[in-house]
Amino acid sequence: MSETAATDDGASVGLAAGKPTWKSRIRKVIDIPESGVVAACVLVFIVVTLIKPDFANVSNLQVIGVDLALYGILAVGESIVILTSGIDLSPGSVVALCVMVTAYLNANENIPVGLCIAASVLIGMAIGYLHGWFITRLDVPPFAITLVTLTAAAGGALALTDGQSITGVSSFYTKIADTKTGGVPVPAIIFAVIAIAAWIFLERTYVGRQIYAIGGNREAARLAGIPVNRRVVLPYVISGACAGVVAVIVIGYLSLGSPDVGSGWELDAIAAAVIGGVSLYGGEGRIVGVVAGVLLLMLINNALIVLNVSSFYQQVALGLVLGIAIVADRVRARSRGRARPRGLPLFGAQGSPAAAGAAGAGQAPGAGHGAGE
Amino acid sequence: MNQAPHGHTEQGDATGVSLLRVSKTYGLAIVLQVDHLLFPFGKVTGLVGENGAGKSTMLGILAGTVSPDRGGTVEIEGSRIATGEPVASQAAGIAMVSQEFPLVGQLSAAENLTLGLKPKGLFVNRKAMTAAARQMLGSIGLDIDPRTPVSALSIPQRQMLEIAKALGRDPRLLILDEPTSALGPIEADQVIMIARQYAAQGKAVIFVGHRLAEVRRAADQVIVLRNGRLVAEMNATEATDERLIQAMAGHELAISSAADDGDPAAKKSVFEARDLTAEGLGPVSLAVREGEVLGIAGLMGAGRSRLLHTVFGAIHATGGTMTLAGQSFSPRNPGQALDAGVALVPEDRKQQSILAAAPVRNNATLAVLRRISRRGFLSPATDRVKALEYVAPTGARFASIEQPIGSLSGGNQQRVIFGKWFAARPKLLLLDEPTRGVDVGAKAEIYALIDQARAEGMAVIVVSSELEELFHISDEIAVLRKGHVRRVLRREEFSKERVLLAASGLKETP
Repeated sequence: MSETAATDDGASVGLAAGKPTWKSRIRKVIDIPESGVVAACVLVFIVVTLIKPDFANVSNLQVIGVDLALYGILAVGESIVILTSGIDLSPGSVVALCVMVTAYLNANENIPVGLCIAASVLIGMAIGYLHGWFITRLDVPPFAITLVTLTAAAGGALALTDGQSITGVSSFYTKIADTKTGGVPVPAIIFAVIAIAAWIFLERTYVGRQIYAIGGNREAARLAGIPVNRRVVLPYVISGACAGVVAVIVIGYLSLGSPDVGSGWELDAIAAAVIGGVSLYGGEGRIVGVVAGVLLLMLINNALIVLNVSSFYQQVALGLVLGIAIVADRVRARSRGRARPRGLPLFGAQGSPAAAGAAGAGQAPGAGHGAGE
Repeated sequence: MNQAPHGHTEQGDATGVSLLRVSKTYGLAIVLQVDHLLFPFGKVTGLVGENGAGKSTMLGILAGTVSPDRGGTVEIEGSRIATGEPVASQAAGIAMVSQEFPLVGQLSAAENLTLGLKPKGLFVNRKAMTAAARQMLGSIGLDIDPRTPVSALSIPQRQMLEIAKALGRDPRLLILDEPTSALGPIEADQVIMIARQYAAQGKAVIFVGHRLAEVRRAADQVIVLRNGRLVAEMNATEATDERLIQAMAGHELAISSAADDGDPAAKKSVFEARDLTAEGLGPVSLAVREGEVLGIAGLMGAGRSRLLHTVFGAIHATGGTMTLAGQSFSPRNPGQALDAGVALVPEDRKQQSILAAAPVRNNATLAVLRRISRRGFLSPATDRVKALEYVAPTGARFASIEQPIGSLSGGNQQRVIFGKWFAARPKLLLLDEPTRGVDVGAKAEIYALIDQARAEGMAVIVVSSELEELFHISDEIAVLRKGHVRRVLRREEFSKERVLLAASGLKETP
C-alpha cells in the first residue's frame, strides 16, 4: 500500500508530463512564479506605448535605464538578505552616507576618485558586516538593527555638512552616469553585471544554495552542517556593497553630493523584491523575478510621468501593484498546495489542516496526507 | 457498496457520532468513501491505516477542516451538523488533538489552555487562569508550571498540553490523532488511560495510532482504513498485530529481524565517548563498533536527543573526550562533525530536517553541497545526477526530483533524508526517532536502510521511544535517565522490564 500511495503521489504530475496538452503547458507557465511579473512588464510597456508612442523612444528608455540601475542594484542586495528571511531597512540611508562621505573626500580632501569609489563600496560593506554581526552574535532582529542604521546613517549624512550639498566632485563620476555604450547607459550595464553575478551566485554556487536553505529552514540548515552565521552575515555585506555602488552612480547623476538622496529607497527595493516573487518568509525567490519586479515598478513610474498623472497617484499605483503581487503569490502557493514553509513566529506558521487538505487538490490520495504529516 | 463488515452499527444512531455516505474526492482521486460508520459513546474506537489510507481526511471531515463531497453527513446523536466548518464541529462537541501542535509559542501553558474558553469579564484574571490551568494539567498528570511559555516545553510536553486543551472543552467526541507518537512508553500509557477514562464517562473517543499494540490496549473496537475504504472492523480482543497489518497492507508483510552476528571482538570501535558532559547531560561513557547499532532508550527528558546533538556538535560539550575512528574528536559545530564523518537524522522531520518547499533535489544534496561543487560552483546537471544517485538506494519514490519534498509522504521524506546523509559517507550515523510518523510498511524499509548502513560498516546510534523497535534493530541498548547511562544491555539481555526499570530509576528485583 505504501508503494501504491507513494507512486500515486506524483501520478498526476507524471501524466501531465506524458502528454503535454495546451492546458498543461499553460499551467506550467503559470506555475513559474515569475511569469506574472514578466507578463505585467510586457503589458504595461505595450499599453503605454500605444497610448503615448514617445514612451518607447530611446531617450525615455535611457532615463528608465538609469532609474532601473539605482533601484535595481539595491533590490538585488535586498533580495539576497530577504532570502535568509532577514530584512535590510538601511540601504537608502547608507547610499546617502556613502554619497556624502566619498563626495567630501573627493571634493574637499582631494582623494583620487578611484579610491573614493572603492571607499564607497567598502563603507557599505562595513556597515553590512556590522548588521550581520549584531544579528548573528547578539540575536538582534534584522528589522531592529537595520532600523538603527536607517536613522543614524541618514542623520550622519546630513550632519557631515550641516545639510549642505558638496559640489566640485570629479567629472569621472558624471562620466559614469552619463556615458552610453551602444545607446545603453553605463549604470544600466553595471546593474546588468551585478544582476548576472547575483544570479550565478545564488543558483550556481554552493554558498548561494546554502543561503536558500537557511531561509527555508534555518534549523535544518544548521543540522546539515551549514555554517549558518557566516551565511547570514554575507547577504548584509552584499546589500551594503550594493548601496555603495549606487552611491557612486547617484553622485554622477547629480554631479554633486546631496544628503537628501536615498530616503525611502529601501522600501522600493523591498517592494521590487516582493513583486518579483521573493518570499518575505525567506528561502524562495529568484533574481530573474527581482529584475522583472524592478523593471515593472520603473515602467509604471515612468509611464505615469509620461501620461502626466499626478505624482501622488504614483505611490497609489506602487501600493496597488505590491498588493496584487502579494495576493497573487498566496493564491499560487495555495493552488500548488505549497503550505507556507515556516513563517515568522508572529504569524503562527504551521501548515493548517485546511492547507493540508488543499494540498490534495488534483492529486492522488497519498499526497494530501503526505503534506499534512 | 459491499465494502465492509458493519458490526454493531445501525441506521439512525442516537448513540454516538456517525458518518453517513461520506466521501471525499480530489479531482479523479477518491481519498475517502465510507457508507456508514459509527463512533459510539462510551467506547474508544481505534483507527489504523497506512499513510494515505484516508485517516487524516476522515478526521478532518469530523473536525470540520475538510469538506466532504455533496451528500455526506456527519451526525451527533442523530442530529446533523454543518460540515466543512471547524466552528460548527467544535460547537457540536468535537475536539481534535492533531499531530501538529497549533499552540501559541510565546504564550504560557495556562494561556494556551484557556485560549478557546470564554473569558469572564473584560480582563484576564491571571490567578484564576493559572489555577484552572493547573487543574487541567493535573487531570492528565502533566507536571509543569502553568506559567511556562510553550516555546520552552519539549515536544512530548506540548503533546500532553494539547490533550489537556482538548479535554478542557469537554467534547462529546475526542479525536486523538497519533497522540503517542511523540511520547515515551510511560507517557503513552498515561494517554491511553486518559482516553479510556474519558470514554468511560460516556463520551466517544477516536484513537489513531501507528503503534498497533497501543491501539489495541486503548481501544474497545478497531477499524482499519485502506485506500479510503473501511476494510475491517473488529473488537480489540480479536485484533492481533498480524490481522491488523494484513488488513492495512492488504498483503502479508515480513519484517525481518536484522540482527547480524559477526564476532563482536573482531569489529573495530568507531566511536567512543568518555565522561562526555553538556548542559543537562552526563557524564556519559559509551562506545559503538563498526557495523553495530547502539540503541538509546529512556523516558522523555532523559537527555537522549541531547546526547546525539552533543556528539554532532549542535550542543556544546562541556567536558569529557570523544574519539572517532581512533582520532580525538571535538566538534564545535555540526559542520565540523560532518567533515569528521558524523551524520544526524533529527527527531522532528518538519522542523529540523526538510526544506519543505524546496525540491527533493535540493534536500538530497544539502549536506554535501560543498563537496559536489567545483571551486564553489554547482551545475544543475551534475546536481540532478548526484541527487538521484543519493536518493536511489533508499527506495524513495516521487514523480520528479524537482517536486517539493513537502508533497511526499512522511516515509518517503524520511528516505530522502537518509539518502542525504548516506551521501556524506559518514562513519557514525546518529538517528533520532527515525520512524516517527511513518507507516508500518515504510518502517520496515527504514529498518532495511539501517541494515544497509551497518552493512557498509557505519556505526549507528539510534534513539527511539519504541522499545520493540530498539529490540528489533539494536545490538546493544543504553538506557538513559536524567542524562546518565543507567544500564547497558547486550542483545541477549533485552527485556522491556529491564529497560523500563532502569529508565525510571528503579532497582531490579532479582
